[in-house]
Amino acid sequence: MYVIEAFVQVFQPMNIIGLVFGTGIGILIGALPGLSVNMGIALLFPLTFAYTGIGGILMLMGIYCGAIYGGSISAILLNTPGTPASAATTLDGYPLAIKQNQPGRALGLSTLGSLFGGVFSAITLMLISPLLAKVALKFSKPEFFALAIFGISIITSLSSGSVLKGLMGGILGLFLATIGIDAMSGEIRFTFGTIYLMGGISFIPILIGLFAFSQILLTIEESYGKPQQKKVVKIDRSFPSLKDIKKVLSTLIRSSFIGTFIGCVPGTGGDIASFISYDQAKKWSKHKEEFGNGALEGICAPEAGNNAVSGGAFIPMLTLGIPGDGATAIMLGALLVQGIQPGPLLFKEQMPTVYSLFLGLLIANIVMGIFGFSLIRLFVKVINVPKKYLLPLIFSLTFVGAYAYNNSLTDIFIMVGFGILGYFLNKFEFSMSAIIIGIILGKLAEANFRGSLIMSDGDMMVFIQHPICLTLLIVAVLSLISPLLSSAFKRMKNREKTV
Amino acid sequence: MIKKTLIAAVVILTILSTSMLFASGQSDKPYPQGKDVKVIIPKGAGGGTDTSARGMLQFLGKKIEGINFVPVNKPDGGGVTGMVETANADADGYTLGMVTVELAMFPHQGKSPVTYEDFAPIAAPIAAPAALIVPADAPYDTLDEFVAYCKENSGKLQVGNSGMGAIWHIAAMKFEEEFDVKVKHVPYPNGTADIVAALLGGHIDATFADPSGVKGQYEAGQVKIIATMSAERSNLYPDVPTFKELGHDLTIRAWAALVAPKDTPADVLQILRDAADAIYDDPEYIQYFVKQGIDPTHIVGDDCYEMMKQDHELYEQML
Repeated sequence: MYVIEAFVQVFQPMNIIGLVFGTGIGILIGALPGLSVNMGIALLFPLTFAYTGIGGILMLMGIYCGAIYGGSISAILLNTPGTPASAATTLDGYPLAIKQNQPGRALGLSTLGSLFGGVFSAITLMLISPLLAKVALKFSKPEFFALAIFGISIITSLSSGSVLKGLMGGILGLFLATIGIDAMSGEIRFTFGTIYLMGGISFIPILIGLFAFSQILLTIEESYGKPQQKKVVKIDRSFPSLKDIKKVLSTLIRSSFIGTFIGCVPGTGGDIASFISYDQAKKWSKHKEEFGNGALEGICAPEAGNNAVSGGAFIPMLTLGIPGDGATAIMLGALLVQGIQPGPLLFKEQMPTVYSLFLGLLIANIVMGIFGFSLIRLFVKVINVPKKYLLPLIFSLTFVGAYAYNNSLTDIFIMVGFGILGYFLNKFEFSMSAIIIGIILGKLAEANFRGSLIMSDGDMMVFIQHPICLTLLIVAVLSLISPLLSSAFKRMKNREKTV
Repeated sequence: MIKKTLIAAVVILTILSTSMLFASGQSDKPYPQGKDVKVIIPKGAGGGTDTSARGMLQFLGKKIEGINFVPVNKPDGGGVTGMVETANADADGYTLGMVTVELAMFPHQGKSPVTYEDFAPIAAPIAAPAALIVPADAPYDTLDEFVAYCKENSGKLQVGNSGMGAIWHIAAMKFEEEFDVKVKHVPYPNGTADIVAALLGGHIDATFADPSGVKGQYEAGQVKIIATMSAERSNLYPDVPTFKELGHDLTIRAWAALVAPKDTPADVLQILRDAADAIYDDPEYIQYFVKQGIDPTHIVGDDCYEMMKQDHELYEQML
């Protein structure tokens, strides 16, 4: 019964227009570096007042799903993640699209991954959200610490070249994350007396600098003085072939699980989910050597993982009234304005609304997929634009993006500084992703490590007594040493052969 | 050649004179002259300060003819950058800003070069009190029972806050001082959502935080609100007593106020303050906040200055 009511509520012409509009805007916002999901949702938030009922929320859901997906387009075509959640997609997306000259295939796979992850999480939300919410509440400080350590441990498997350089990059990221007011003591750290650094060094300008700005410098260096080759990339298909789908299906399911779960733990989001999904895809793969050179699973995994976060983040928001990330926090506000109070009472009193929201998220993901598949041919044209036009355009976009995030001029200097640093790090074959992981997880790891010790009065046993925490820590240690072990195994095998 | 130069000169002169004409014509008109008014919000888009500010500006805009507010988020430096920029802006009424309770706290911790004295306040749309919130299954229902429990388990009760040195931590310290008890302060730097999750998950025993963050959980009977540190009872939680009623004069409030730079002309301030006064009569305005679980406050002009000053002195003594 509720389902029919929900269908009637959702399928109003105005609601569908809002949803489609939101998704389109979302993809655009996601694709442009520096414009964040939260910013897009916050800016269109006042528009939701014009709606009565859930129409406005559907629009925000569209932006949310669209923006997570949109980030992958620039990640694949320009090696510049549009959002932090797509940083992992550059690892294999860019090599497949540019080096192997198959942009259509890469975008098709990322769209498929996003669609699958989004739909999977929306269905999970419908079926078992109260159960998952209970598990998420079990996460206390020791568990968050272990999750962060697990995330950091994947640095070793991400750095395709030298593990040592990966760890060095990770440590640089961890160090950058310590700048600013320390919430554990209220003290100021490493700000050199500037007000700007008090709130911590801004992450988005660093991301744009390390990925986009440095990429421009590298491309200019490569193509300077050489005659322009006219590139005409034609794509025969935008939907992945059956063979490709078969190859990535298990990766899609695994990544969607990871993404949904990480989304439903409050305080963690798409950036962490995509890296962990990528790492797991590589670990389970039979042809690890393809990763980093355009592995199909390497594109699907992060995209399924980050879009699966959307449904996951709605779980604590709807069942407990606790937003799973910044974007759902704003949507919580929009729901309240409409007189919808998320939380346990919602499931008792307003079942049709709950089902409408479920259905809305599902449709938002499907609309996102339709947009994606039908626009791939258009997106790919970006590559055909001659470099002499494309590079200046991206170059100015890096400045606009770095400024737009916080409206801060200092952020532009940070962006340029990290861009130049990124250029040299690229030359020395350091992994940008390792630095990014360090920054993303540094605060989570540190705050929860010290927080756990406050709660346990300094007793380190707290990390062993919590079962979820202990499991995650063991997996993290295994993940950290597995590249070393596997090379040791190989050596042993080789020795056996020679003997 | 000469002809061309002449024509050019005439054109330039015409443009200049008309624009001057326009300019002089405009200066006769009262504030806001159809120019955009920039409002610097020192917090990120979508947060509590941002939603309250944007909501207030939307209704203020209706009360002042020809005004167009342009909110700009500057969340750098934990919000200090934005507040400093407002303080240093031209005091002509075309740059306003939001300031938050951190303005009363940061100067004493060496984190802010500006204080309440650098601003001329217009109005504070919110002043969320610290409320003592506990899980529904906690063995205490009243303040006395809670204090007794704290004394029995001295230093053991886990009390969540939004970061050491931040406002909810200070509220908890004030509580310790007033009742001569000791609790364990557990920081959740991401703010209220994480505190509520920890409360529901049974990881902490209590928190002093903004009660609007737990409206849903309160109505569903998952948390209890024992008392609030406000001067009067909240309209949203009329059943919850204040610490003051219970004989303990504790007032801790997380406010956000719309302000102008210190030397803004009195007539401009008057226009803005009158409008701010008028919006409180608009039921839609009240509804905008109440629906989001926020109790809007009616603190305008000098009252607002007084509140900022009082809190500045309070934290000076505390920190």
